[in-house]
Amino acid sequence: MIYVGIDAGASATKAVIVNKNDEIVSYAIVPSGINFKVSSEEALRKALQKPGLNSEDVLYTVSSGYGRALVNAKSTSSEVTCISRGVHKLFPSVRTIIDVGGQDSKAIRIDENGRVLDFVMNDKCAAGTGRFLEVMSNILGKPIEELSKLHFKSSKPIKISSTCTVFAESEVISQISQGFTIADVIAGLHEAIAERIYNMSSRIGFEKDIAYTGGVAKNQGFVDSLSKKIGLAPTLPEEPQIICAFGAALAAIKKHNESISHE
Amino acid sequence: MSSQRERSRVLQSTKKIGELILEYFSKAWDVRAQGKPLAWITVFTPVELLRALDIYPIAPEHFGAMCSARGLALDYFQEAEKAGYSQNLCSYSRCGLGYALSGMSGLMPPPDILITFRNSCDVYVKWWQSLHMHLGTPLFAGEAPYVLTFEDLDNYVLDYVVKQLEQLVKVAEEKFGLKLDKDKLAEIVKLSDKASELWLETLKLRRFKPCPLGGRDSASDIFPLVVMQGTDEAVKFYEELLGEVKEKTNKREGIIDNEKFRLLFDGIWLWYAFDLIKYFENRGAVFVYEPYSDAWAYRLDASEPLESIARKVLAMGLNVDIDLRIERFLDSIKEYQIDGAVLFSNRSCKSWSTPQLVTADILSKKFNIPYLLFEADMADPRQYAEAQIKNRIDTFLEVLGER
Repeated sequence: MIYVGIDAGASATKAVIVNKNDEIVSYAIVPSGINFKVSSEEALRKALQKPGLNSEDVLYTVSSGYGRALVNAKSTSSEVTCISRGVHKLFPSVRTIIDVGGQDSKAIRIDENGRVLDFVMNDKCAAGTGRFLEVMSNILGKPIEELSKLHFKSSKPIKISSTCTVFAESEVISQISQGFTIADVIAGLHEAIAERIYNMSSRIGFEKDIAYTGGVAKNQGFVDSLSKKIGLAPTLPEEPQIICAFGAALAAIKKHNESISHE
Repeated sequence: MSSQRERSRVLQSTKKIGELILEYFSKAWDVRAQGKPLAWITVFTPVELLRALDIYPIAPEHFGAMCSARGLALDYFQEAEKAGYSQNLCSYSRCGLGYALSGMSGLMPPPDILITFRNSCDVYVKWWQSLHMHLGTPLFAGEAPYVLTFEDLDNYVLDYVVKQLEQLVKVAEEKFGLKLDKDKLAEIVKLSDKASELWLETLKLRRFKPCPLGGRDSASDIFPLVVMQGTDEAVKFYEELLGEVKEKTNKREGIIDNEKFRLLFDGIWLWYAFDLIKYFENRGAVFVYEPYSDAWAYRLDASEPLESIARKVLAMGLNVDIDLRIERFLDSIKEYQIDGAVLFSNRSCKSWSTPQLVTADILSKKFNIPYLLFEADMADPRQYAEAQIKNRIDTFLEVLGER
């Protein structure tokens, strides 16, 4: 018998399957596209397929993320709660979480029981999120996976002064025409996004240990820039992108147990 | 989201407000037809004095809020933007200017005089100058210096504002042949004071658990206090309201069922997304205090009407020092047993939003009160990201629930 957590995010939809011992059995990540119902079904199908499971084996599903209300799940939970739960299970010593996703970035402060004490999120602007890097990777013609590698080839990161994604786009184009290398531009972009997130997170402070989650935490270049600003080495999950879905799956176990005890 | 039971309600008195507002505006057209003077005012202008002079006051800011709530504001915004007014300007001003530029045939009759005081808001004077430029209507723009200490309400600053009120009376005499009747003014000041007293007493009842009056009530019921001050109708409205809220309090009847969280709201309400209040209430969160709701309540003394009106002009709303404002804000935390604060950073209103980060810090660090800060505009729906804001609200309520 298994439990499912689905994180229907702005950019990707993630499904995580866990067993009753809180262990991850399988997971899948698919692009969200424009239909969360379709993407969540696809993610679940893929996650079930790997270990050869059926949808009948699922005891309880909890959804989270932007599209959570559109996912076929028994209940919903917010990302902040799910991320905190997921991180606390994997790394009980973590007190600060920085999550950078497709459309949102958040900093969360939790206590020794994984309870959320405080959180901040980016304002309406997308400049401190994964979307910023997606837009830039398009302009530079470099796939998002390559940004990381190129980052470490830079010797002199450019300075991006505009905080607006749209204006930063033209700034990048002009910097390249002035002869800066793509590596310097990419390192500069990572600096810019790290600075924004650092400033936002400073409002709740940086108590040790610090974990990074969300799709952007897979980008080593960004991780490097942010860690240098904070001055502490981060705790990184093996797959940072699925932590919210993992936390949702843990919530599914809890919800299921509660529903049994009420019967 | 699992299906939510409708828990949100409004008071019987609040249900009458819509009609009261429409009546007030339609009476303005009657006043115009009778050839009596009609003033467009900003909402911190002394209506008591105008009423005593027999000048009928209407506020384009109300008009902006109403247009926004009814989905009519966008046309006026675009009209103003076409004329060169930037989208970064206050949305009330863009709505009012857009209306002025498109013929003024709706709810609000054209003005015979434009009256403003520069208190609370830095846009007022420029907005009124622009209206004057477009319409050619006479303009009276008073200055009420920012109140740094409450001593200013008794020293030369007070004299300065009293002199300007006297000047306003002179302008009314010269332009419209009106005379100020001192007895009438005293009577109006008495009525205004009564309405403020009743409203403040009503708001105090929100200290009780469960809270008998919600955010939709306080946001709507404020209307008579802003432009109808000094009328019997306003006093009657607040008497009935207080009666109803007292009765609910005595019966320990909350405005929502199963009150779970008591919240403070800082800012102007989002008129086009007024149902956001319901969204909170349906999840067990009730608003019990808003600085907005007592911004217009000011006690007056009929024995010195002009001085007392001048103090009100100085001390209303946002015209006091930020530290004094924050102090008042923090006093409410204990008084109203507040669990969390919702701070709306309003793109239109810098005077309001400026201290919010400082306030947020004090709330969380000194009082251990969680807060939610979100960005949008009070009247312009183009600055609003519904999914993002509701996502934050859900998270905020989950965090409160875990405490």
